[in-house]
Amino acid sequence: MALTGIQIYKFLPKTNCKECGFPTCLAFAMKLAQAGAELSACPYVSDEGKAALAAASKPPIRLVTIGAGEKKIEVGNETVMFRHEKTFVHPTGLVVRIKDTSSADEVAKTVEAVKSYSVDRVGMTFGMDGFAIENASGDSATFVKCVEAVSSKSDLPLILMSSDASSMSAAVDRVKAAKPAIYAATKDNIDQMIELAKSSGCPLAVRSSDGLGELAELTEKAAGAGVDDLILDPGVRGFADSLVTLTQIRRLALAKRFEPLGYPVITFPGEGASSLDEEAVLAAQHIAKYGNIVVIDCFSPAAALALITLRLNLYTDPQKPIQMKPGTYQVGEPKETSPVCVTTNFSLTYFSIAGELESAGWPSWLVVCDTEGLSVLTAWSAGKFDAEKIAKTIKGENVAEKVNHKNVIIPGGVAVLRGELEEELPDWKIMVGPREAMAVGGYLKENWKS
Amino acid sequence: MSRFIATSAIRGATSAVEQADTMLQDALKELGPDTPIRFTDTVGGGTVYYLPTIYGLLGSKVETLGDLVPVMEHAKSLVPPVPRENLWLPYLGETLDAGAATLYAFETIEGVRFAKGEQPEKKNGFEFNGPINDAQMRSWGIQMVDGRMPGFAALVGAAKSNEVAVKIVRELQSRGQLIFLCSTSNGRSIVDQLQEEGVDMGYDTFIVPFGSDTISAIYALGFATRAALSFGNIEPGDFRKILLYNKFRCFAFVLALGPVDDLKYAAAAGAINYGFPVFADTVIPNILPTGVTRFEHVVSMPFDDIEGKDDLEKAERLVQRCVELRGIKIKIAKVPIPVAYGPAFEGEVVRRADLAVEFGGKGGMCFEWLRMKDLDEIEDGKIEVIGPDMDSFEEGSKHPLAILVDVAGRKMQKDFEPVLERQIHHMTNGAEGISHQGQRDITWIRMHKNAIAKGFTLRHLGDILHACMHNDFGAIVDKVQVTLYSDPAKVEELIEEARAVYKERNARMAGLTDEAVDTYYSCTLCQSFAPNHVCVINPERVGLCGAYSWLDCRASFEINPNGPNQPVPKGKVIDETLGEWEGVNNFVYEHSNKNIERFTVYSLMDAPMTTCGCCECVMAIIPEANGVMIVSRDDYGMTPSGMTFTTLMATVGGGLQTPGMMGHGKIYITSKKFIPVEGGIKRIVWLSQNLKEELAEELKEACEREGVPDLIDKMADGSTVTTVDELLPFLEEKGHPALTMDPIM
Amino acid sequence: MPDVEIPLEKWTGKVKEVKIGGGGRKEVVVGGESTLPFLAFESSNPNPPKIAIEVHDKEPTTWAAPLLSAWGDAVKDPGTWAKKAVEFGADLICLKLLSAHPEGGNTGPAEAKASVEKVLSAVDLPLIILGPGVAEKDNEVITAASDAAKGQRVALGNCEEKNYRTIGAVCLSDGHIAIAKTPLDINLCKQLNIMLSDMGVPADSIIMDPDTGALGYGIEYGYSINERVRLAALGGDAMTAFPILNHAGGEVWRQKEARASDGVPDAWGDLEERSIIWEAVTATSVINAGCDIVVMCHPKAIERIKSTIEKLTGK
Repeated sequence: MALTGIQIYKFLPKTNCKECGFPTCLAFAMKLAQAGAELSACPYVSDEGKAALAAASKPPIRLVTIGAGEKKIEVGNETVMFRHEKTFVHPTGLVVRIKDTSSADEVAKTVEAVKSYSVDRVGMTFGMDGFAIENASGDSATFVKCVEAVSSKSDLPLILMSSDASSMSAAVDRVKAAKPAIYAATKDNIDQMIELAKSSGCPLAVRSSDGLGELAELTEKAAGAGVDDLILDPGVRGFADSLVTLTQIRRLALAKRFEPLGYPVITFPGEGASSLDEEAVLAAQHIAKYGNIVVIDCFSPAAALALITLRLNLYTDPQKPIQMKPGTYQVGEPKETSPVCVTTNFSLTYFSIAGELESAGWPSWLVVCDTEGLSVLTAWSAGKFDAEKIAKTIKGENVAEKVNHKNVIIPGGVAVLRGELEEELPDWKIMVGPREAMAVGGYLKENWKS
Repeated sequence: MSRFIATSAIRGATSAVEQADTMLQDALKELGPDTPIRFTDTVGGGTVYYLPTIYGLLGSKVETLGDLVPVMEHAKSLVPPVPRENLWLPYLGETLDAGAATLYAFETIEGVRFAKGEQPEKKNGFEFNGPINDAQMRSWGIQMVDGRMPGFAALVGAAKSNEVAVKIVRELQSRGQLIFLCSTSNGRSIVDQLQEEGVDMGYDTFIVPFGSDTISAIYALGFATRAALSFGNIEPGDFRKILLYNKFRCFAFVLALGPVDDLKYAAAAGAINYGFPVFADTVIPNILPTGVTRFEHVVSMPFDDIEGKDDLEKAERLVQRCVELRGIKIKIAKVPIPVAYGPAFEGEVVRRADLAVEFGGKGGMCFEWLRMKDLDEIEDGKIEVIGPDMDSFEEGSKHPLAILVDVAGRKMQKDFEPVLERQIHHMTNGAEGISHQGQRDITWIRMHKNAIAKGFTLRHLGDILHACMHNDFGAIVDKVQVTLYSDPAKVEELIEEARAVYKERNARMAGLTDEAVDTYYSCTLCQSFAPNHVCVINPERVGLCGAYSWLDCRASFEINPNGPNQPVPKGKVIDETLGEWEGVNNFVYEHSNKNIERFTVYSLMDAPMTTCGCCECVMAIIPEANGVMIVSRDDYGMTPSGMTFTTLMATVGGGLQTPGMMGHGKIYITSKKFIPVEGGIKRIVWLSQNLKEELAEELKEACEREGVPDLIDKMADGSTVTTVDELLPFLEEKGHPALTMDPIM
Repeated sequence: MPDVEIPLEKWTGKVKEVKIGGGGRKEVVVGGESTLPFLAFESSNPNPPKIAIEVHDKEPTTWAAPLLSAWGDAVKDPGTWAKKAVEFGADLICLKLLSAHPEGGNTGPAEAKASVEKVLSAVDLPLIILGPGVAEKDNEVITAASDAAKGQRVALGNCEEKNYRTIGAVCLSDGHIAIAKTPLDINLCKQLNIMLSDMGVPADSIIMDPDTGALGYGIEYGYSINERVRLAALGGDAMTAFPILNHAGGEVWRQKEARASDGVPDAWGDLEERSIIWEAVTATSVINAGCDIVVMCHPKAIERIKSTIEKLTGK
């Protein structure tokens, strides 16, 4: 049974020393109650308190970091089965696999394509997160060479894949500082792999294709030996078995607080798929259903864009909708005679109005106000989309310089702002558009004379 | 139950059954039992429902004359004996049985007539329609189910004059009512009357003449029966469901024009079975208590006694009254004013240069007052202007104005007056060129020159309110009458009355306590983003968004019974002090997706209300100060909890129950039921500065009420204190009572 | 070895089964779930999700290039189009009467009837028939469509909060299934189902369209609303226990990602590949969240999803 913030607070020193990084003990307690902080951050909690809080304060799924530096991958710490219950916290790591049997040219080409891959969405930039380098050759030297080749060209995090402990050791040795993940400990090599993880401080993936019992046995062994940063590979590869098994792991970790499986999960959709597009669909399933690191075999920009977008969508906080960067956006290629429309920076509002303008064939200037991601009516009722803000945005964006007219269209939902806005923008004509984005084409046809 | 009616109906039924039986026996002899019967209308359209009333109510498929024999046996068994002179026994039950027997007899007679080729009826060169065909029934049935057509009016007999007949029909048409015609009185029929006046009858004009006798009235019930079978997903033979379906979904009634004989009484008894009330324009006994029909059963409105300057006005009132008594709701598709109307005009400002005329505002006098009246006290759609109007106002001038809106409705309650009154603002603002601000006696209305130029006058304010009240609040409002006073003396006189009422309402609101009610209301509007959040709204705590009071929720529930505001019966008390009830717990558990098991109304520390994303304020305990702090949404600064409003929201929001923290509405702070378990307002050690300013008066009052008049000065705010380290010395210096209260944790 | 006991959810609710088709037409049954999608270890969901293929009553001249080239001339006629959809593996046909839109032809009941009859006679799959999405026109053409399809138990839509009564009444009259559409809000969804039930629409004749966002355009809302509605149903709420329909295709093919080949970043890759993946990923997401009928457009995406469903159900 999870403790409330108030119950946790009782065990804290109540000194507000701020060493935990929170301004007060209460704030820290509240965060602990949400599994959003680690008890160990408080240096003064008593042993008695520690024991009492241990269960409540330990996140049910451990946060594991692969790589070092700015581009490191952090996965885990999830607290819910369904995103609407709270939110999915750490976006799935999307990693591209390179086999050491590939030619140096191919490797170089893939590395270049992946590391330079970058897409902009909602004003932010996203890309792929790392490489998994597989010792497909079985040869230690080839493996090391391939790892060196990749790491010399890219600073993205690495997952090193070999079942041979000595090959792994040699490879880890070269890139130890970059904290690559070691893949994988199995029942045949676990002792050596544990040693390697311990000595290098790298996270360790554990694989068993023999049921969750064996997997749990292996992780308990590793954890017992002091390796805390583990990643699970339950050995399932297809659509049905991976959905079922990953669901079971998440449930065990959250509902049962089953610690041996309270770690992030790695998947390999390419191994369960027979074509590029099937791999993408299976990878999409893993992003939605409980994969924390997804290793892609066929890197293609189109598929990568789809997967990155899905991840961005599903990992947004349902209470904090995706926001557009405020500013002036062009729909199509607007001219100085084109309409100027105002909207909020709730991404869905933006996309629907932009989409309708585009499909109705109206190149336009779309002025996006910062409403903290709220939709038109919500923002208006929360006081975040008022005449003052609209006027400030229009002035700040120098909209007047982009067009040769002085007409601005506000959403029909905030018709009430018209009067005030006329005060704020005295030289502009304020036009009230339709309430629904869908009607904007018809509205412009009727009302816009350029 | 009127003995007179019962006796007449039973007599009528007895003779109808006798007549049917004789006709059937004769036909059997003449034509033989295998003679087929098929209902068709005058254009040959048929039905797959056999003889529909018999099929629907009894489940019997009548396809031949012979099939009618058991039906008649059943009908005979239903007719009760005619009551003896000195026996006062007949009750509703007997009369209704007699009515049912009449329906079977009528349909049998029409069946026999069809077998003999005598239907649809032709008389003096006029072709009656006969039974409505299935295709037409489907088309009208759809409109009745989707609400475009309320129901039908069966007009039986003949109106006082041809002129009255036409007026009645036009009035019914204007309300979208379907019109069925049959029978005669004193040898005249409304069908004759309409024919003489050149009124087109037929499917296209929604006027269907069934036949020249009372028996053809059965086609109306056959139509109703088929509608129920077709749209009610009801099995033939399930008579109870068919009758109930019609009672609640088909807004039909019978209007008897002219004297009512036994057979008409018998037919009326049949109609009442379907929940269709019967109105008469002659003197007959009333049967008012509701039961079988939704409202009154039989209402007599002698035509000459109806108020009205002439027969036409009387006819109009007659229809109006029928519609009202059947509970037919009015929808007004377009607000009838000379300027455009719609939400796009809500934000208009009428500037000085454009001002034609204004009412109220600085130095002026303008108020609005919505009053609940009895249904028979007011006349729907009546709009009066008392005093000067636009034509006598100078450009840019200011005048006094009183807007009195009288509403009546079967579901209207006194407590809804302020709820509806507050909507006047929103409603009038929708008109192009009209700007409305304020409420009650601080109303300020400004009108644009363009609006006046287009012909906008004071009465149009009434038109707007009449239309909008019906459209938006049809569920609780049946009649709306508006009076606009621009006569200064009258306004001055009325404003005093209105002010007394405002005061009374305030007092009523203040006196409306949690204890006084046994039902709270829920609000689940926010579940779209906070899936497990349930607002429980009690009289002394508004919804945490500040927008919904207990009264608002109650009205909202009446308007939309399936909406987000549902009644929460308190149920058995678990703990009076905590404010924990079984009913509330169960409701919250069910509606929080079984996440919140316990819920208290009065505590912050023990199972407090969950918080969604839109609360006006968040309160949080400050354990160090043994008190609570309250930060408002408009306060962007740091608070002594070490968290800003946004951080606090992230902690409590999303439908979580977080003991020690809770979202709430601003005005809750001054409620008598402000966290009483923790000691109430005396616990507040820190308050956002803007709250202190905004609520200054109410806070003062609350502090005085709690016996701590100087408390406000002892509460810290963001202007002086933003950390807990600063807070403690401040409270000690001021001697804040929280420091010496029982430990909050 | 540690004992791993798999936690099983004890759901009390079950989604209603809805049968579409009949009257000489093939029948398809959807719904009937007693656990979340594809969790066979917990309970068996009897009916795998079905794919409906979109067919319009007029040539989709503004359709995206990849769709036009995949369908060729078939889209010139709804009957031919529907036949081709059968070849492409449709379980159902979703006929959209778009020509009735006031700005798209403004055709009336007669044309609607003709289109429905064309499709009915061309194929023997069960039908979903939707109006142009303008309330008045929807009522008009769906009433006619319903009449034309009487006895063949089609699904008609869309019933929306402000405009559900006419289509509801038509369904009652002609024994069809009502599609209840609400905008991404579980309470509105539930409310509409209650209102339809109050009208008398039987529980085995309601399908919900809780709305769908395309990938990148609100799929997170569509995904979560599916999950929430389904969880509520499994939790015992009868008023959410209806099969779910999602318009994955229609949503996706409006978006830039499925349409634009010029003037987009290189990182977007090839249009054809991208657009098909876009539809397939959108469809797979809603199916994993509880969708029973996914309406789709591109043959290759359809093929992919068909095989995905087979793999997920082992059927």
